This record gives sequence, structure tokens and C-alpha cells, in this order.
Amino acid sequence: MKCQECQMENIEGALFCEECGAKLEDKAELLETAEETGVQLVLTSSDGNELEVPAKDEVVVGREDPISDIFPDVDLTNLGGMENGVSRKHAVIHREGMDFTVEDMGSTNGTYINKKKIQPHARQTIKPGDEVRFGKLSLSVKAA
Amino acid sequence: MKSELKVQCIMSKDTPPAAETEQAIYSLVKIEAGSGAALGTLPANIALVLDRSGSMDGEKMEHLKEAVGYVVDHLSDTDLISVTIFDDQVETLIPSQPAKNRNEIKTRIAGVIPRGGTQISDGLKEGMREVRKGRSQDRINRIVLLTDGQTWDDEDACLKVADEAGKEAIAITSIGLGEDWNEKLLLGIAEKSRGNSHWIQNPISILEAFQQEVEGMQSVAATNLNVIARMSDGVKPIKIYSTVPMIADISKKAIKGNTIGMTLGSFDGRKGQAILIESRIPAHQEGRFRLGQVEVTYDLPATGMKGQSVKTDLFVTYTGDTAAAAKVNAEVMNLVEKVSAFKLQTRALTEVEAGNIVAATRKLEAAATVLLDLGEKDLAEAAEREILSLKKTGALSAAGTKKLEYGTRKLTMAMTGAMKK
Repeated sequence: MKCQECQMENIEGALFCEECGAKLEDKAELLETAEETGVQLVLTSSDGNELEVPAKDEVVVGREDPISDIFPDVDLTNLGGMENGVSRKHAVIHREGMDFTVEDMGSTNGTYINKKKIQPHARQTIKPGDEVRFGKLSLSVKAA
Repeated sequence: MKSELKVQCIMSKDTPPAAETEQAIYSLVKIEAGSGAALGTLPANIALVLDRSGSMDGEKMEHLKEAVGYVVDHLSDTDLISVTIFDDQVETLIPSQPAKNRNEIKTRIAGVIPRGGTQISDGLKEGMREVRKGRSQDRINRIVLLTDGQTWDDEDACLKVADEAGKEAIAITSIGLGEDWNEKLLLGIAEKSRGNSHWIQNPISILEAFQQEVEGMQSVAATNLNVIARMSDGVKPIKIYSTVPMIADISKKAIKGNTIGMTLGSFDGRKGQAILIESRIPAHQEGRFRLGQVEVTYDLPATGMKGQSVKTDLFVTYTGDTAAAAKVNAEVMNLVEKVSAFKLQTRALTEVEAGNIVAATRKLEAAATVLLDLGEKDLAEAAEREILSLKKTGALSAAGTKKLEYGTRKLTMAMTGAMKK
């Protein structure tokens, strides 16, 4: 990647010219980090365990499976995910501005919001106070 | 599962282009206090090492005495404090003791009369002796050094003490007052001991620096903070920067093959910590790729818990979609730009020292442009003034050098301000 200011050749992926500090990808579209919206969610189990939903635009909820190289962002293994029928890639929590939606990723045992089953791959809004169930594992949604 | 520390990894690109050559990627590892963190539960063990050379006479000494009074008033009875004063001789004014004898400490400080020259290393050694008396893993062990002068040919001895302090988890905060002191030395002392450094132009600000120090000690959420990143085969870490309390290039110490390991000392729960890792990632076809795993370990002496650990994976998904491949995370971009300003400034100073005025000027011009782009008008103007000074005299001004050295290193502190809860 050639710097437009000083013509120095920089490695692909570099953001600023190593020689003169000029921005290398002027056309790059900047993604705001989700955290900047200031809202963050926590999922709480009935026995009081809290799982923070990482501050990013897409958060995978499921069960860790190192053999298949699956490491969900919110890992429900320790909350009895296996016993409660949570799939490895069960659902995705999307952040859309200040709002959150849940998308079931075609899980075996389904995703429920306030006891109502949601359609796979159709995003449904969630907000603090809601109950979301992955398979048989029920969690309440709170603001962090 | 309330965590004491939250670790978040953000990549410059979540979806880099599937390419046939290796490419650069930046990972920001953000460490913040979690919902289960308790701040300020650890008692302090602080040694003040203060310059009383002749040049400290008048306003400087008056404000210093006031600032020491503040420290004494804001420590709790179980905290330990010692006060060492130095010129070309050293005196332990207050040997290490619980901070409860407040009036006595203040009375003794009030009697200090400036005199003599400046020999920092002897003062530091004595401060180390005092802080070691109460040194414990269950305390925040710290030395605060304040000077307004050039030390007498004992820079190496000072750095040696700082190195020892770092190994013993005693952070040194070095404070330079006015313009006639060696910023390279004071920054070196802070970096080697994993401490902080401040430049104070006006004696009235001594109090503020000491306040920050006391507040910092009372915000410690964990000690013995270590970050280990194990990168996958084919991933090459190139540069590592820690950015709190100031930007420091720790690549040399931290990178061993494709593993990165760093010891960061005590963790300030209000400021947090942010590590920038620049790596080369291999050519790869479309699909998900695990860059490696970051593990953060720490101790919580207040609860007796040692070696707590948080792990998180670094992933990217190589893509053939050019629009997706062009997307860059704004937060990482901003941090890389600040580090870029710091690097240009540092290189400019190295070129000045080597007598390469033309190259130094070019680097400073580049730094000024980046600083302006970052919205740091004040610092950009300082760089412009130094460019003029270089062109006219072939040298930088003492104040300008300090402003740029401290200003670019602390560019990240505005960001960590936003990390506050």
C-alpha cells in the first residue's frame, strides 16, 4: 500500500504511514465501537450468575466446543448449557444503535423471549426486564 | 459470575481481506474494572523523595510543603509513609511509619530549608531503603520523586535503582518541576519501574500531581497485572504498546517469538489499561481465523486471591468482500493514530540527538500534521514552534521538548477518561 503523501510503501492493513504518519486508508469506513452507545447488557440466571454481554455489534451466544473451534462470546457451558439443550451457536445478540435484538441461529431447541418462541433468523427486540430462554436455559436481561 | 476485571479485544479489522500476502492487523486489548471490582482496599506504602536543592527556594518549596501536607491528610492511619529529602546530601526526614502522626510529619516538613545541589540517585536509593521496610504484596508500594534540577552525572545510577524498583513491584512516579531537568531521565525512571511521570510547569500544580498520586493509589483494583498473548502459528507480533498511564513501547521486553508477555504492576480501576498489539497475519483464504488467545492474570490481595485469570480469544474472518474488508474500527484507528504521533515525536528527538536536523524537522512536521488531525491544536503548535527553533538554531527548546515528550505520551489519557464508569 503506497502512502499518497510520501510515496513510502507500507504493508497491507497498516492504518498510518510508518514514515510520515499520514492516514493510509482515507476511504476506509469507520465502524463505531458498540460500546460508545453507552448501553451494555447483562444476562442473569435464576441462581444469580451474571454474564456480561460483550460490547460489540454481534455477540454469539452458545456453548464452547474447542474441537470444532467454536468459542461463543457468551458461553453458557458453565450455566448448564449442555443439560439445558443450548446449541453451540445458538443465537446472536445484535446491537443496533441503542437497541438490541436476538436472532436464533437455527438452534435445535429454539429461543424464547418472554416465553414466546421466536422464528429462526428473524431478529426480535430485547430490552432490560425481558426473559430470554435458550433451549431450557432461562436468563433475565438487565442493563449493566 | 461477577468479574473483577473485564477484558475486551477489538481488532482494527474484524474482516480483513482474504489476500495472498501477509498483512498488518492491530488488536486493542482493553482491561477495565468489572462489576465485581473493589477499588482502594489496599493500604499504601509510599516514600516521598523530594528535592531541596537551592533552586527549590521560595514558591516551589512552599507549594511542595502544602502538597506533602495533603498527602499526609489523605492517607489512612494504616498507610505507611516516609519522607527523604536530598540535595547533594541525603536526609531521611521521616523514616517509614504509619501515616497517623500527621502533625509531627507536617512540622518536620515545615522546617526544611533549601540548599545545595542535586544528586537524585542518592535520594532514590534512600527512598528505596525506606519503602522496602514496609514492602509487602498486600500494599501498594510506591516512590514519588520530585525534582527541579539536572542531576550530577548519576543518571545511570538512577536508572539502576528504577530497574530494581520495577523488579520489586515498587512503581516510581517521577515529577519534574520547571524546565531545567532531564526529561529523558525522569521518563526512563518511570518506564523502568512501571510508574508514571509528570511535568509541572508551575509550582502551584505540585498539589494537583500529589492529589492524582493519592487518588491513583486509592483506585487500585488489582495487583500483579500480567498480560500474556499466545499467537497462532503464522501470526507475528511486531510491536506492543501499553497506553496507561502513558504510551510506552514495550515491544523489546514483551515479545518472545510469537508469545507476548508483560508485567504491568498494579491496576488502576478508574483509568483501566489498554494494550495495542501490532501483528502480521498470514495470507489466508476466506473464513474464520483464530489469531491467538489473550490471558490477563492478576492478584486481589484484599481477598487473598492470587493468580486470577481472564482469557479471551482473538478472531478475524477473512473476506473476499472488498467493502467489508475496508471497514476499520474507529476506536482502534484513533489509538493507532495517537501511537503514531508518539512514534514520530520520539524519532524526531532521536534524529536531533544524532545531529540529523533535516530528518528531525521532517519527522516533527509529520507529527504536527497527525496531532492536528487528532484535534490536539496545542501540541501541534508546540511542534510547529520546535520546527522553527530547529531551523533557526539547530536545537529544540527545553520547554518545547518536555511539552512534546509528555504531551504525546499522554494522548491516550483522554481515551481512558472515557473508560471511567
